[in-house]
Amino acid sequence: MPTIEELPPAEGPAPSRPPADEIDDDEDEDLDETLMERLWGLTEMFPDTIRTAAEVSASCSVSLAKTFYGFSRSALWVGTTSFMILVLPVVFETERLQLEQQQLQQQRQILLGPNTGMSGGMPGMMPPAPGKM
Amino acid sequence: MGSVLAAASPSPAPAAAGASQGVQGLASVPPGFTMPPLSSVSPTSGQQTADAEPPLANPGTYEECHRKCKEVFPLQMEGVRLVVNKGLSNHFQVSHTVTLSTLGDSGYRFGSTYVGTKQTGPAESFPVMVGDMDNTGSLNAQIIHQLASAVRTKIAIQTQQHKFVNWQCDMEWRGEDFTAAVTLGNPDITVGSGILVGHYLQSITPALALGGEVVYHRRPGEEVAVTSLLGRYTGDNYVATLTLGAAGGHATYYHKATDQLQIGVEFEANTRMQDTTTSFGYQLDVPKANFLFKGTVDSNWMVGATIEKKLLPLPLTLALGAFLNHRKHKFQCGFGVTIG
Repeated sequence: MPTIEELPPAEGPAPSRPPADEIDDDEDEDLDETLMERLWGLTEMFPDTIRTAAEVSASCSVSLAKTFYGFSRSALWVGTTSFMILVLPVVFETERLQLEQQQLQQQRQILLGPNTGMSGGMPGMMPPAPGKM
Repeated sequence: MGSVLAAASPSPAPAAAGASQGVQGLASVPPGFTMPPLSSVSPTSGQQTADAEPPLANPGTYEECHRKCKEVFPLQMEGVRLVVNKGLSNHFQVSHTVTLSTLGDSGYRFGSTYVGTKQTGPAESFPVMVGDMDNTGSLNAQIIHQLASAVRTKIAIQTQQHKFVNWQCDMEWRGEDFTAAVTLGNPDITVGSGILVGHYLQSITPALALGGEVVYHRRPGEEVAVTSLLGRYTGDNYVATLTLGAAGGHATYYHKATDQLQIGVEFEANTRMQDTTTSFGYQLDVPKANFLFKGTVDSNWMVGATIEKKLLPLPLTLALGAFLNHRKHKFQCGFGVTIG
């Protein structure tokens, strides 16, 4: 009995289980744990000022990115709706007016000859003869 | 007090078909636009210009000083409105208005305008009687008459169903280079209450006009007097007005950029509510397309616009309006059709 009790406190895998699995399990568990801890341990080698500076800059950039994303969303919405209300109707109407005037000009050209449509065009040499066309 | 002052401004003045324009012809042109400076012409002319000053024109009324800028801004429209204007004769005009609204009440309103036969100018005839009645029985009525060559008087009443809400009498005296007006609002002899408003506006130079307003408000056991000063400067194509008083300040600037584009900037500061508002408005007029566009941007994060389009050849005018409040995320739109 005392020999069995003494064994578990000693380091190394317990003799009841097969050694290979135990070693793998332990190492896997140790590996998961120790990878993060190892990486974190690595950072401890830098002096405090660099560590705090890195932390602060990382958190600042994250919050800045979030703020910028939120701002750009609302700015896009405000800009689009304001443009829609303030500028779009004027653009529509002026475009329509231009098109109408162009159309009228074209019609006049077809009806009366190619020179009457242009304002300041060449002096009329050709007699208007739409019927012969 | 606010409602009396609002009612003291000249009536909406629907123009009688083919006749004079009534109240709006009162002071449509500020002095600086029509008065060329004469002082440089000939100080040694044979006339008795002892002080060699150009003759000062009448500065217009006190209420109209801020009006040129205010007209550039669009009105907030909500719901559907159909207006039918019919001129029955040169002197008489009738209008029917049907309003359908989501926020307020829907109703029908009948209005009539009578313009008298005493013609004082090319665009003015007196007396002018304007009245309109609601489907609930609320009445608004105004009578404007010219008593003498320089004295004009106005009586206005407003009721809400059968109860009289506003009744006021107003007298205005236009001198050579000044305008003085006295308004008595809601006088009640039995209780001893009422509002007395005095306006005075004087042309100092052809471009500059200064004036003041005194409002005396009396209720049983309480009397309050409020004073404010007004200054208006008219340039070649701009008008700048400033009002300062105990209740706050109000500054407007109107600029006529081109034939089609007019711009207005307004700044208002209120001492009672401790807030200031800045608004920028513009009006774009394209007569070839029968299109009138008014837009505004506000410091309260409010954006709004109105379109008025004449659908020729029919005598129809289509009005569309939209107002968007970015801060409160509220949107309001409306449209109206005017026939005649």
